[in-house]
Amino acid sequence: MTSVVNARGVSKHFGAVRAVDDVSFEIEQGKILGLIGPNGAGKTTLLKAMLGLTECDGELTVLGLDPFKQRKELLKNICFIADVAVLPRWIKVTQLLEFVESVHPNFSRKRAEGFLSQTKVRSDARVRELSKGMVVQLHLSIIMAIDARLLVLDEPTLGLDIIFRKEFYGNLLNDYFDEERTILITTHQVEEIENLLTDIMFINDGKILLDLPMDSITDSYVELMTSGENAIKARGLGPIAEHEMFGKSVLLFEGVSRDNLEGLGEPRTPSVADLFVAKVKGARK
Amino acid sequence: MIGNQLALIKREFWEHRSIYVTPLAIASIVTLGTLAMLMFAGGFAKELDIAIFGATNIAGDTERQAALTGFFVGTSGVFLLAATVLTVFYSLDCLYTERKDKSILFWRSMPVTDAEAVISKLATAIVIIPTVTVVVIIATHLVNLAVTSIWFSVKGADAGHLIWGSVPLLDNWLAALIVTLASAIWMSPFVGWLLFVSAFTKRSPFLMAFMPLVLIPILEFIFLRSSFFADAVFSRKGMIPLFRGMDIEAFFDKETLHLSEEAVSLLAFLDVGRFLTSPSMWGGVVVCAVFVTAAIYVRRYRDES
Repeated sequence: MTSVVNARGVSKHFGAVRAVDDVSFEIEQGKILGLIGPNGAGKTTLLKAMLGLTECDGELTVLGLDPFKQRKELLKNICFIADVAVLPRWIKVTQLLEFVESVHPNFSRKRAEGFLSQTKVRSDARVRELSKGMVVQLHLSIIMAIDARLLVLDEPTLGLDIIFRKEFYGNLLNDYFDEERTILITTHQVEEIENLLTDIMFINDGKILLDLPMDSITDSYVELMTSGENAIKARGLGPIAEHEMFGKSVLLFEGVSRDNLEGLGEPRTPSVADLFVAKVKGARK
Repeated sequence: MIGNQLALIKREFWEHRSIYVTPLAIASIVTLGTLAMLMFAGGFAKELDIAIFGATNIAGDTERQAALTGFFVGTSGVFLLAATVLTVFYSLDCLYTERKDKSILFWRSMPVTDAEAVISKLATAIVIIPTVTVVVIIATHLVNLAVTSIWFSVKGADAGHLIWGSVPLLDNWLAALIVTLASAIWMSPFVGWLLFVSAFTKRSPFLMAFMPLVLIPILEFIFLRSSFFADAVFSRKGMIPLFRGMDIEAFFDKETLHLSEEAVSLLAFLDVGRFLTSPSMWGGVVVCAVFVTAAIYVRRYRDES
């Protein structure tokens, strides 16, 4: 497997604040990685460092390039949607396509027009005349028409309604993703994307709390719904988190075999959101 | 690199339509002014006949040239004034608005370096705005000459002789191009400063750009009792080392009671060699380069979120 991003001891300070604190990780080609963390966890800073938008300490290569020093070269093979509202409001759709076509060697205008024809975005409209959802469709149509190896999405569906959000991820998976490409997504709405992720990474206070393939969540983590005596027994096995639901206790275990929990309640695989909350709370203790 | 520059400059035209709308608006006003003047003059039939007779028979080629050149210089002045105002607003806006509306994140997601982006804005201010202005000046000139010659023909005068045979088109146009571009280069340290403020300031670029120009001379005067800054900044416009001194003696030929030939050539007033070898001009270019480099660094290194 070729690695697309390689980070060794990457840090970024803003004065005394360590936005990213000595993190190391690797992202392999063909993965869809969800980067999940609360506000101010360092997600965006980390993304910016990968995109060459900000300098950082440590060793960071993206597609074998130094993102800050070789940004122009990097951006030929990497795309990003930073936020929904960043397309210039004065530009016309045709002008936008013409501009990207003339500066981006890997952009196919035909492909973009193909995607756009499936939306309500008119080619003679200005961005300011489009709804928020349509602006995202426009941006995504452009991004998907760029033959890039890494796509970075930072809160791409923020402020969109559920229909647009579903469509967004549907298009991304069906029309764009293949094993040659890698997608990195940050989002708050983790429930919506957990089914499409191949890997997840949790980040909090600039540190990585968890970095593993989705498949191995089932192997490593188990959630047990239990009550009464069983709950007391189960607590003895050292859960990493516990919360109440419908008058029952929900205990989360890390590295405890499901066999050991047999007969103590209903075991199941925790959702990414629950796992995330447990990990962040655990880290704060 | 060149391909990117063309795309980037085209982009500036899309965003800042005032680059061509402003000179076109001036062109319409000038043309309307000419029409109004001709209609007004049409009311004085007798005086007009005398004037046409005089222009045709008494005045020589040089006088007719001088009159037409005078008209050209007068109207061009209005265009240059408008272009100056336009350049100030454009330079202050171009790197500020993209940050304010966050579209900078989109522009920076394209494989275009910050240097390329900032240089395209400098090129727009120093080369594109002046060139567009001159193109519109030339078009306005032709339209106005055409309108005037039609009017003359209607009034029974020989427009071919009075106007087209006398107007020094190439001399006027080349001089306009040289003066406009040279002025832009001469004033480039200001453009550099404005671009830097546009890239740097978090709010009110206009205030941030002009406040130091007012405060520094005051402070300098209070503390140092000198006025180097004010002299360097405010008198720069008047000091452009492009014009030859005008010799009134040579202007008017006392023997023939006519204007001398070289007096009506605009190009003859220009000393391009002096401009190109002027240390003040090159000093200004260096100042501009320093500010533009600073603007590139600010755009590249500052974290916008």
